[in-house]
Amino acid sequence: MARLNRDTLIALLLLVFCGVMISASLDIEETNYGTMQSSVWPQVVLGVLTVFCLAMLGQSVLKPSVVKTENGGGSSGLGRYRNAITVYVLFFLFLVTLPYLGMLLGGIGFVFLALTLLGEPELKRVPLHLAVAVGTVGLMWSIFTFGLGVLLPDGELLQLN
Amino acid sequence: MIETLMYAFADVFAPWNLALMTIGVTAGLIAGAIPGFTIAMAVVLTLPFTFGLSPVEGLSTMIGVFVGGLSGGLMSGMLTGIPGTPSSIATTFDGFPMARNGKPGLALGLGVWSSFFGGIFSAVLLVTLAPRLAVIGLEFGPWDYFSLVLFALTITASLSGENLVKGMIAGALGLFIATIGEDEVNGVARFSFGIDDLESGFTFLPVLIGLFAFSQLLSDLQDRVKARQPLMDASGADARIRIEHLKAIRMVFARWTNLLRSSVIGVFTGVLPAAGGSISNILAYDQAKKASKTPEKFGTGTPDGIIAPESANNATAGGALITMMALGIPGDIITAVMLGALLIHNVQPSPTFISDNPDLAYAIFVAFFLAHFIMIAMQSVTLRLFVMVTRIPMYLLASVILAYCAIGVFALNNITYDIWVLFFFGIIGYVMRQLGFPLAPIILGVVLGHVAELNLSRSLAIDSDLMLFLTRPWSLFFLLVSVFSIGFPWYQKARTTKAWTLAYIPVLLAAVSVPLFMMEGFVRPIIGVALLALSAYLLWRSAASGWKVAPTGDHEVHLEET
Repeated sequence: MARLNRDTLIALLLLVFCGVMISASLDIEETNYGTMQSSVWPQVVLGVLTVFCLAMLGQSVLKPSVVKTENGGGSSGLGRYRNAITVYVLFFLFLVTLPYLGMLLGGIGFVFLALTLLGEPELKRVPLHLAVAVGTVGLMWSIFTFGLGVLLPDGELLQLN
Repeated sequence: MIETLMYAFADVFAPWNLALMTIGVTAGLIAGAIPGFTIAMAVVLTLPFTFGLSPVEGLSTMIGVFVGGLSGGLMSGMLTGIPGTPSSIATTFDGFPMARNGKPGLALGLGVWSSFFGGIFSAVLLVTLAPRLAVIGLEFGPWDYFSLVLFALTITASLSGENLVKGMIAGALGLFIATIGEDEVNGVARFSFGIDDLESGFTFLPVLIGLFAFSQLLSDLQDRVKARQPLMDASGADARIRIEHLKAIRMVFARWTNLLRSSVIGVFTGVLPAAGGSISNILAYDQAKKASKTPEKFGTGTPDGIIAPESANNATAGGALITMMALGIPGDIITAVMLGALLIHNVQPSPTFISDNPDLAYAIFVAFFLAHFIMIAMQSVTLRLFVMVTRIPMYLLASVILAYCAIGVFALNNITYDIWVLFFFGIIGYVMRQLGFPLAPIILGVVLGHVAELNLSRSLAIDSDLMLFLTRPWSLFFLLVSVFSIGFPWYQKARTTKAWTLAYIPVLLAAVSVPLFMMEGFVRPIIGVALLALSAYLLWRSAASGWKVAPTGDHEVHLEET
């Protein structure tokens, strides 16, 4: 997508965001103490943000140029983001299942699935990925639990603490 | 002071702390050597480990990672031609040719010892300058502090990318994120939309790891084919290379003017908010080339081309620590993380930091010194580790680190909500990267948002007159340099083509002389006179040459994640 379209779209979305937040800032409770009301600073920041978004909108309309992204990648379209989307979905599932699986099992599951889906799609790699997942997450879990004294969350499935 | 220093030595040289620092330096050396794995990310990922440590142990470990990372970049740059971090880009220009010409041991030796001497030079300045700068910081009222924060944000935004507006938007978004949750001044909930967890706002660490590390890993994984390949082709790197220490030391000392000049450039670049090793190494290389009697040899493997960038980038670390410790303002993402670490241990960074926490402040000084000695000792060991690590594919490393991020973030407050914050800001960071927004301003905005609001509120509580921001000398000084920092991207773009750029620096010097004249005493007005005289001289010189612009440097200055 050309920068004209994309940056214009981003600027418009940001302007909508600013509008919503400015509206929400009007609902911030007013106090009868303190010199500066709690809504003043957010409104100043949102006002500045709105001005910059307008500048970006103007820039995108007046000076369109080719956009540069961080990584080239091989695929085009949504395929470029396949790995990122895969990881986000897996991480989301990890978070949702955390109360049931706990940090240890959930972490192992997350790393194993991430390795299997992101790595070479070969069956012989599966045991290696499982070993890496168990070894690394197990080590991290041990360091935090026994070394740093952090009570990592247990799941309903496996109670360790 | 001697007593405090002795206490600091005892803390830093404790066996457990030495072990932690050695691990930190080693991790930094490895992380710095891996392209795409920045020093900032290594320091960010160290933070969760420091919760369970004392402030001295935590900060020492992070300083170890920082110093190691700055020196680690030279390994991959010299042996493979791919700089490990942006702060060692210029090292590759001469380090790689020298290594290919059959002298990898000497190239590494020059890099390592230049890093060491540059770092030690900045450590000396850190110990001597930081307490003095902190005394100046004590003069600051809330007006001045607010303007200083504004300056830190504008210069970061203007140096962070090619698009100033996007940098500014990122900075403002950071400030906005910091407003979510309970207001520090009046205790009123803001933008919580009825969600209980949001009333406490966002903890700095999950936001930082999400925005920075999580999104960076996702960007590294984006290319599916590359993600499955080893991190880099290090087939040309021989782990059995013997670093030629003695020869390198002799060569570095023989070029002491280059070492000193580059170290000074490094320190002063580090002192400036936003400017880091990614800028100083290129500036020092440019200056070394200009000062050389044989500039044509640069790029072919000349020792000066290695000494300049390597001494400069390590010296930058000391400069950044000066600003952080003396003023409580982070110069870059790395010092922002260190400030976060201080906050976790209930240490409030401010100009009174050194006087309020002398034990910790001096421990940081000692740790910074010591980290350079450990770096020298660990370089040969990590060379072997580096060659091994490069064989690991990115997808493997990234998956494990993502799980570590979740565990580390949870460890901060023992609540799952923080992992959700990490996830949410991981998405925001990734999207922002894809859309070309720089992340440094948003992170600085998050860190400095509370400081800005608190000082604005205090200044209005003392006096509602907004003109005080313009009539107080330090505040005016910072506002003026903020304005010029906003104009810097245009100046940089046009400096070899447009005549007006010749007046930019003289006008800046003349402008900042005004607040200096307003200050009390004799020294500062005298500095103001000197700046004014320099400004007049520069204008006269440009007028005498008919306002003709000439190419002044080979490289544009941009802040990259170091």
